[in-house]
Amino acid sequence: MNDYDAIIVGSGAGGGIVACVLAEAGHRVLLLERGSALSFSDVGRDHLRNQRLSIYGHNAGPEITGNPRVFVDPHGRSRVVSPHELDYHNNAACVGGGTRVYGAQAWRFHPDDFQMATKYGVPDGSSLADWPITYKTLEPFYERAEWELGAAGDGSAISDQIPRQRNYPMPAVPASPQTEALAKGAKQLGWVMSPVPLLINTEEYQGRAACVQCKYCVGFACPSDAKNGTQNTVIPRALATGNCELQTNALVERIDVDERGSITGITYLIDASGTSGTGQRQAARSRVVIVSAGAIESARLLLNSRSSFHPRGLGNEYDIVGRNLQGHLYPRAYGLSSTKVFNGVGPGVTIATTQFNHDNTGIIGGGMLADDFIKPPIDFWYDSLPPDLSRWGSANKKFMRDNFTRVMHIRGPVQDIPNPEGRVTVESDVRDKWGIPVARLSGTTHSATVEAAEFMRERGEEWLRASGCERVWSAQPGLILSGRQHQAGTCRMGKDPKTSVTDEWGRVHAHDNLFVVDGSLHVTNGGFNPVLTIMALAFRSADHIARILR
Amino acid sequence: MQARLIHLMDLKTLRAVVDCLIPPDDFAGAYEAGVCDYLARLFQTDMVEQRDFFSAGIEAIDAEATLRFNGPFAALTPDQQTLILQAIESGDVASAWVIPPQRFFEMLVHTTAEGYYSDPQQGGNRGSTSWVMTGFEERAES
Repeated sequence: MNDYDAIIVGSGAGGGIVACVLAEAGHRVLLLERGSALSFSDVGRDHLRNQRLSIYGHNAGPEITGNPRVFVDPHGRSRVVSPHELDYHNNAACVGGGTRVYGAQAWRFHPDDFQMATKYGVPDGSSLADWPITYKTLEPFYERAEWELGAAGDGSAISDQIPRQRNYPMPAVPASPQTEALAKGAKQLGWVMSPVPLLINTEEYQGRAACVQCKYCVGFACPSDAKNGTQNTVIPRALATGNCELQTNALVERIDVDERGSITGITYLIDASGTSGTGQRQAARSRVVIVSAGAIESARLLLNSRSSFHPRGLGNEYDIVGRNLQGHLYPRAYGLSSTKVFNGVGPGVTIATTQFNHDNTGIIGGGMLADDFIKPPIDFWYDSLPPDLSRWGSANKKFMRDNFTRVMHIRGPVQDIPNPEGRVTVESDVRDKWGIPVARLSGTTHSATVEAAEFMRERGEEWLRASGCERVWSAQPGLILSGRQHQAGTCRMGKDPKTSVTDEWGRVHAHDNLFVVDGSLHVTNGGFNPVLTIMALAFRSADHIARILR
Repeated sequence: MQARLIHLMDLKTLRAVVDCLIPPDDFAGAYEAGVCDYLARLFQTDMVEQRDFFSAGIEAIDAEATLRFNGPFAALTPDQQTLILQAIESGDVASAWVIPPQRFFEMLVHTTAEGYYSDPQQGGNRGSTSWVMTGFEERAES
């Protein structure tokens, strides 16, 4: 006897959308979220403990204690890490997941992003592959994400590169003095440019207010609720049907199977206090289970769901689950303008170039470059100072005083060239507060990603010089494990069960009723912020699951 | 708030050190902006396990000053103070340090900047002084 038609593990960008589509189709849904529903004041405005700068903690889950991971550095040394440390590769754990506190850049992937192996071949040591679907297949679902959640942008700007049938529902964010300078530079260089599309209301939309242009987008919650995550769009729609039950503070321990090895439901634990780890184990049964816990936790759950039928974990007959963990390296460039470019108007990110996403000589892939969200001064101090400036004394104070409003910022995500050694496994020797083995992260990105990042760093400098900056500096992160908030790839889609975990719908090979719907599915992660692609895939998979349940 | 930190280290020294890192001019220096309050809170909360390490570093600054210039750090001229901090930053210390001087110095510089530039709710950046100075805010928040 099933308690639900569908159980969804995780209420982020993927799970929230699946919950909405299934509940509106009349199916009974249990939506489980390991974190809480966070109000604006719960998230707060702590400049040192947020999802953008997490020096002593963060603001959107998971709790700092009781939720460790193990990180293995490139030299093979492993250590236990806490959620606020960089090497934890955290994404927010709360209702809405990362979308509660994200910057909300709403990029579609480029058509070539779905055909990376065909376009570039497969570099040695990499697992570069084509997606089982094309941009054209996903295009209607991108449009749906833009309209149902609410995106602002200029649909005509780069439609020759990334075709679209319909404009954004809202106009792009307004230009700033930095936009004007950078537009002039891009024009001089002959580069294509676009306003940055954002899942932020630039005017009233679906009954919620417009952006009030505060300075706190990425890492924080929105004071006017104008930033569109799943927590204020599709999840309320799901709940309004009466068909969806949202259970917060619920960690799923394992996916259960019956005596024939078929999926029957899940076992989970509820912790109302958030830290104690003393909740009761509960089971729920359903016709389908959908795993939407993010690329690290989804892989962990599949790997922890071992049984005599599935001794290596679910979907892991060929040792693919958890491999190809990827995200984005972010090259950064800064330039000193002779005039003030900061006008205090958020979000701050306004203009991008997609000139270098593909077709760069000697480079595999590439990426988008854009200006940046407004940085709080301490974030600026840590991130943006010239390398040759002393970190203390009068010179440092003078630089902060004279130049905080004159530094132009460029950064962007570089297409990650995946490899099987960048991966999630589970570590039996380290347990979370419930006693469940934690995720162990190891490996790095491929060296081809670093070459592309270096190329993009140079393009950032070039753009700033052309935009009138005489003094320019920059950085790129080198050969590290990418992942973090753009984590993806650990349950990649594909046609061949030996090289992929799911089919094109997110259905785990060899199972009729087990799905993965989140960034884990991404075969490659584009040279763009990935959230709109996660959302588009979620709409497409959810339609398919609704048909199966009918 | 400062009482318990003073108990562990000389406030006069700490004040002189943070003011050397972020000196007063027509905008407040680190001490006036509340950085010592920020540090006092930080080393009783998130950084409590580093408190002994941090106070050992502050003590070592005075030892370094006494060895090189015959007086506690707070009594030295600004140029002498700068020389001392530069020596610690580069690891070129003359006295015996029980902790790694460069690791301490990085912690000192980072936490001082945090106190000066982060939100006033943390105990530092009194009157949003650094936000007005940088132009992040047009005026102090009431």
